[in-house]
Amino acid sequence: MGTTASQLGKDLLSEYQELTFLTKQEILLAHKRFTELLTKDEKDLPNTRVSMERVLTLPELKSNPFRKRICYVFSTSEQKDGSLTFEDFLDLLSAFSDSATLEIKSHYAFRIFDFDDDGTLDCGDLEKLVNCLTGETDETRLTTEEMRQLINNILEESDIDKDGTVNLSEFQHVISRSPDFVSSFKIVL
Amino acid sequence: MDSEIQRQGSRNGYHGDQQSLRSRQVSSRVSNQNYPQFNWSSTPAEDDVEGSSEMPRDLRSSPLHMALKRAVRQVQQMQVPVVSSRESWKRNKAKSLRKLKDNTREFLYLFALWSKSLQKIGGNFGGGVQSFFLFLRFLVVLNFVSFLLIAGFVLIPSIVFRSVGTGLVNSTGPEECMEYDPNPQGLVLFYNYFLDLLSGTGFMEYSYMFYGYYNNTMVDDTNFSYNIPLAYLFTAVFYFAFCLIFIIARMGTAARVAVATGGSAVGNYSMIVFTSWDYGCLGDRATKLKQKNIHYRLQVDLEEEMIKKRAASLTTNQKVVLYALRVFMCLVAFGLIIGAFYGIFLATEFSQEKSGKEGILGLIFEYLPSIVITAGNFLVPLMCDQIALIERYAPSTTVIVALLRAVFLRLVSLGVLLFTLWRQITCDGNTESAECKLCEYNYNFYPCWETRVGQEMYKLTLFDLLINIAVLVLVEFPRRMVVDNWSNKLAQWVGRQEFVVSSNVLGLVYGQTVVWTGALFCPLLPLINTVKFIILFYCKRITLFNNCRPALKTFRSTTSTFFFLVVLLFGWSLATVVMVYSLAEIRPSMGCGPFRFFPNMWSIVPRSFSSLSETTEEFLFFIGSQAFSIPLFVLFCVVMCYFIALASVYGKSVALLRAQLKLEGRDKQFLVKQIEKLSRQLQIPQHTAGAGQ
Repeated sequence: MGTTASQLGKDLLSEYQELTFLTKQEILLAHKRFTELLTKDEKDLPNTRVSMERVLTLPELKSNPFRKRICYVFSTSEQKDGSLTFEDFLDLLSAFSDSATLEIKSHYAFRIFDFDDDGTLDCGDLEKLVNCLTGETDETRLTTEEMRQLINNILEESDIDKDGTVNLSEFQHVISRSPDFVSSFKIVL
Repeated sequence: MDSEIQRQGSRNGYHGDQQSLRSRQVSSRVSNQNYPQFNWSSTPAEDDVEGSSEMPRDLRSSPLHMALKRAVRQVQQMQVPVVSSRESWKRNKAKSLRKLKDNTREFLYLFALWSKSLQKIGGNFGGGVQSFFLFLRFLVVLNFVSFLLIAGFVLIPSIVFRSVGTGLVNSTGPEECMEYDPNPQGLVLFYNYFLDLLSGTGFMEYSYMFYGYYNNTMVDDTNFSYNIPLAYLFTAVFYFAFCLIFIIARMGTAARVAVATGGSAVGNYSMIVFTSWDYGCLGDRATKLKQKNIHYRLQVDLEEEMIKKRAASLTTNQKVVLYALRVFMCLVAFGLIIGAFYGIFLATEFSQEKSGKEGILGLIFEYLPSIVITAGNFLVPLMCDQIALIERYAPSTTVIVALLRAVFLRLVSLGVLLFTLWRQITCDGNTESAECKLCEYNYNFYPCWETRVGQEMYKLTLFDLLINIAVLVLVEFPRRMVVDNWSNKLAQWVGRQEFVVSSNVLGLVYGQTVVWTGALFCPLLPLINTVKFIILFYCKRITLFNNCRPALKTFRSTTSTFFFLVVLLFGWSLATVVMVYSLAEIRPSMGCGPFRFFPNMWSIVPRSFSSLSETTEEFLFFIGSQAFSIPLFVLFCVVMCYFIALASVYGKSVALLRAQLKLEGRDKQFLVKQIEKLSRQLQIPQHTAGAGQ
């Protein structure tokens, strides 16, 4: 199972087409870009795992402020180091593809924003999220006062059961109201 | 090991109580879940008790990684469900239908125009600018398809049947009314060709371009008949209906979302924070830009909240002063707009009086209405912006108010131009006045008035394109060169140009409205417009990438697309009013065109119907009569009431469910507190026992 040599078998290709939202061309393009990341000897091994640093050299991910979180979320490695196999990479592209459903996109968005991986977005997660969105430099950060006001407003609007955190259903409730989300949660190679 | 992990998952996972047996057996490679890390792979695979024809789609939309999905699929495939042959046939059909849909979608992607360009624009300049270019592409496709429609039903039959065919109505009118000789007399100088190209006169006037060239003929063979005037009329009507359907279909998704989110509006902040990042941003510069953009939006919203709080705390005195000021400024803006309309009215009258002059001066007189409209559309919004500064609305309201004023100005100025033309053609609507008595229209000035209106629209279209190119070459490029090479305080203050989406979109809507108005009189106008919009796409793209800096304040993408289409519908309705009026009220010219000798253009329809069979005629009359339309109207009202009731029921159930969620959250907190209290009670005896030892 996994990729051998530099060619994808036909069965494997159709299996990937059934299990992901990607079209045949997109899968082949993903395979090409992924093998470019491998060194010469790694190309012959099946099921190679590429380290996070090398994955982050892809131009589509290089400047994304959530790049590390994306790698951690889609990685299936035991050491939780954010390394990706080709199938993890396909999972990533499938969730970010044009035809993925709103449910799966919002699910993965929630996991990406959950910086401490505890299943809910609490104040710490929200603060880190806002800092990623506005940039980490001093001039683009919000002041403490603004941040506090912002997080209060967010929790007031989206925390329906008033437990101080935003869980997955509340998150998906907010997302379902946004018409832009599906078109902006997209990475196309 | 597995069951323990699953039990841990069920303790801290909110989805834990819904685990299906299948995923538990199958998750052999569940990664080591350290408590308290959340166990995401315990989310259940979709229920496949019914329809495993839904199987592949469910697997795709289940958030498991590839290995898990593959294992689930294997298990599902091993299970051979006992189904009837009809069930399996249905499933196979559904599967092949889905495959066909996927394949068609892949095939259509090949034909998507300019998709790489659009992606690049979106990544570097944001969704708002990209939505402008998407709108432009939509209009190109719309115009091209409508041209194919017109070509197929009007142009090609006219070309083919030009020499064949008999005149439909054999009556004649007064001699003076039938005089129409558009061919240029005498020696034609070379530069006249160029002038004629720009103003649609001369060699262009008597050609397939304009209404006047089409003939009042009908071809009637043994087994084939084609009625050209009827085809012309029906094509024009169908063109409008087709454009309407196209636009509404496009509005479909956006409208559905907009209506569904009605009711309690989720506030801005969660929406901005959760959904505003654009993962398609490429490169450091675009990312930093997007971050600055989001920072700006959040600051603006927080500031607006504080302003609202402050505004709510104004004393009554201050409020009265503010509102009086706003009303006054509104009147001033309105006055400016009315002033612009009067200017257009005067310019059109002057231009029509002086028409027929030769040379460059004549060209300027011809283009005078277009010049005045463009100048008005440029100056008045500038002044309205200054007025808006005094009015001190909240920032979001200011943008909407400015846009509405600009839309009003553009479309109604076009309406004023048309109204002035109409006045001159029909002698102010007074068919008894001296000039209009003979032919019911002003035959001295307008031997073929439809062609003249078509020429006017053609000139507007062409002038719009020329102005865009001229501004590009003479204003935008020099501005960029000045700002880049001249490090002066003034140059820095002026800065590089910003790509303002709203005014560009209004320009497109204006151009499209002109084309719609003129399509009845100038059948080739959609083709010219297609070419114009393609040129415009490349020009705007060049100026975007070379001259513009990205705007800090951006438009929201999907809501803005909806807004663009609504504004386009305003333009469409203006054009429809013009078309209906021309079809029904004004007498067609007797010297030219396919409708000569008819009292009005629409009267060809009843006349042709008289050649149909008795039953068809009676059926059609019945549909048009009151006995049919009133019950139909009542039926529509009933259906609409049903949908309104349904919508309110859904809204109420949403509110009920939210309240229920709130209560459940409180129950959960109460239970957690109870658990803590109990565990503390249980632990305290242990402590005392432990301390005692």
